[in-house]
Amino acid sequence: MRPYQVATAAAIALIAAVAMFDSRAAFSPSAGTAPGDVGARWYPFWAATIMGTAAVVVAYRALTTPQAAEGVFEGSRSLFAVLKLMLPMLAYAVLIGGVGFRTTDFTYRIVPPFGFYLATALYMGLFAWWLGRYKVWWVAAIAVAFPIVIFAVFEIGFRVSLPKSFLFSSGLLPF
Amino acid sequence: MEVFGQLAGGFATALQPINMAMLFIAVVLGLVIGVLPGLGGTSGVAILLPITVFIAHGSLPGSDATTAIIFLAGIYWGALFGGVITSILFNIPGEPWAVVLLFDGFPLAKRLGKPGLALASSFVSSFLGALVSTILFTFFALPIALKALEFGPAELFAVFVLSFATLIGLGAEAPMKSLAMLALGLLLAAVGFDTITGEQRLNFGQISLLSGISFVPVTIGLFGIGEILASAEEQGIGFVENISARLGLRDVFEAVRELRKRLRLVLSNAIIGFFFGVLPGHGATAASFLGYGLARQYSKNKENFGKGEISGIMGPQAAADSAGVASLVPMITLGIPGSPTSAVIMAGLFIWGLQPGPVLFIQHPDFVWGLIASIYLGHLLTFILCLLAVPLLAMIMRVPYAIITPFIVVISIIGSYSLNNSMLDVFITVIFGVIGYWLRKMKYPLAPLVVALVLGDSTERELRKALIAGHGSPLYFFNSGLSTVILVLAIVLVLIPLIRTIRARRRGAVAAAGAGSAAHP
Repeated sequence: MRPYQVATAAAIALIAAVAMFDSRAAFSPSAGTAPGDVGARWYPFWAATIMGTAAVVVAYRALTTPQAAEGVFEGSRSLFAVLKLMLPMLAYAVLIGGVGFRTTDFTYRIVPPFGFYLATALYMGLFAWWLGRYKVWWVAAIAVAFPIVIFAVFEIGFRVSLPKSFLFSSGLLPF
Repeated sequence: MEVFGQLAGGFATALQPINMAMLFIAVVLGLVIGVLPGLGGTSGVAILLPITVFIAHGSLPGSDATTAIIFLAGIYWGALFGGVITSILFNIPGEPWAVVLLFDGFPLAKRLGKPGLALASSFVSSFLGALVSTILFTFFALPIALKALEFGPAELFAVFVLSFATLIGLGAEAPMKSLAMLALGLLLAAVGFDTITGEQRLNFGQISLLSGISFVPVTIGLFGIGEILASAEEQGIGFVENISARLGLRDVFEAVRELRKRLRLVLSNAIIGFFFGVLPGHGATAASFLGYGLARQYSKNKENFGKGEISGIMGPQAAADSAGVASLVPMITLGIPGSPTSAVIMAGLFIWGLQPGPVLFIQHPDFVWGLIASIYLGHLLTFILCLLAVPLLAMIMRVPYAIITPFIVVISIIGSYSLNNSMLDVFITVIFGVIGYWLRKMKYPLAPLVVALVLGDSTERELRKALIAGHGSPLYFFNSGLSTVILVLAIVLVLIPLIRTIRARRRGAVAAAGAGSAAHP
């Protein structure tokens, strides 16, 4: 547990250091708009200082206090259980908006935007097939039914417009 | 007696068909959220918060901000009750405040073969605890709010500092970790334009960060996605004990008879739970453990605890539900959230265009008293639904993991996107989900982070207003007797963990010396 505790505290301390650097103008004589005002940078500077100091103390305690020899995960099974959920979730979030980059003249698309509904169909279908081990028609039913119900509730019922796919812009799908 | 007139007006508001319909839906959703082990009350409220924007802006016929708060609070009441069902029947706490029911609730259901009595005991004591707390809420809220109206920037800043000190001094986790999370929350709240000077800060040149980091996607990530990841890990390890239950009238009557024997315990725990719940950052979970400790301490049957003792169910339940209700008191009266859930509800008020705090009582009395009346109605409704629908609710646990888990992720993504139609918010949710999961594993408390994120702007504003008023002198905070007392109290609270550590070290040194002299007489 110790290395993980220290690494976490170090990451927090690093964020604090970056924030302190960004707020280094806290002590500029021109800070503040009125007599007595400390300016915009003072508060984040001290919040970051407190955060960094607390993280350093946590790291020091983790290094000096005896710790149980337990790992972070109770075996590889629990680690894989988390990764099985985490990785598809990250892929799902990326698929909704697609992957690309923009120059001053062009936008290059590596993965086209699947939009919310297509990405949801793939995501729910993947779980049903992979973790649920359902038969193929059940997987298809889940992948189709969930986006349609969500479309009816949110898009029609609550009038919430969710991101649409590249097939929507070409007129092939209503979402 | 002004209170009774206003409460009657509140009931007139809460009893409107749209409000009752939304309360019913919210309570059912809350019960379902409470039963699902991967989803807590806080995350349920956070995920559904964006929907309330449409409710508050009249997307439904007759709905307004009062309907929205009744809806959000209703989810919380449902979750408060629903979390216990899985603790008692499946040995899996649906909510953190239901963990304590594993000690006596599950043994009463399994070893002693009385699941109906265990559930009924929990529901009647929860209902009574919540009722006591709501009555105290009704009579305490207005005087506190009227007093708070007299507060200037120094007093307001002192109250914020006190709430932060409570999170550090009385928190269950290491105080330095609480402090780091608190400061992180303050820092995240400072991202974007400074509201006083209009200067950009901590956005690192990113235009999308100029409007700041929105509270909702962070909270949905920390609590919604974070909890789902944590429960995925448990699914990888655990197994499910399962007892089927049907709740009959006989169980309810027996529970009422048992309640009458323990009326003093339940009432005193409800009152203690109320005052504990008012303290920022604690809420129902800490109160449930306190309630269990008190029930055991003053019981004549201490040896029965852990084996299915009914006092071990009724004591913590009365305290937990009472604290859950009480956590809304500082949010409504002072604009300070008493728990992470009330922090989310408070964020809702901001989004609907309302300013939580004492001014609410003056500007929007219908809203405040409608909410208070809905707490009475919400708990009555929850109680009745629980008695009627336990077998149905227990069936929710049988919805396959491969469907319910991705569905919660999908709903979380909708919630984070729909507030600002922003993909950045979706990424913030996912990233904070992973961060929240990891922080939980490393035993960093998330309540200080969430409370500080909500209060960060107000704290900075009052601090700077006070400093401007005092021409830059920090002594301005000690000009008022009230702010001095509050700040001294805050310092004492922060020192509590230090005093505890010193005393523990001394005890350790004395014990070591004793052991040494025994070994070498």
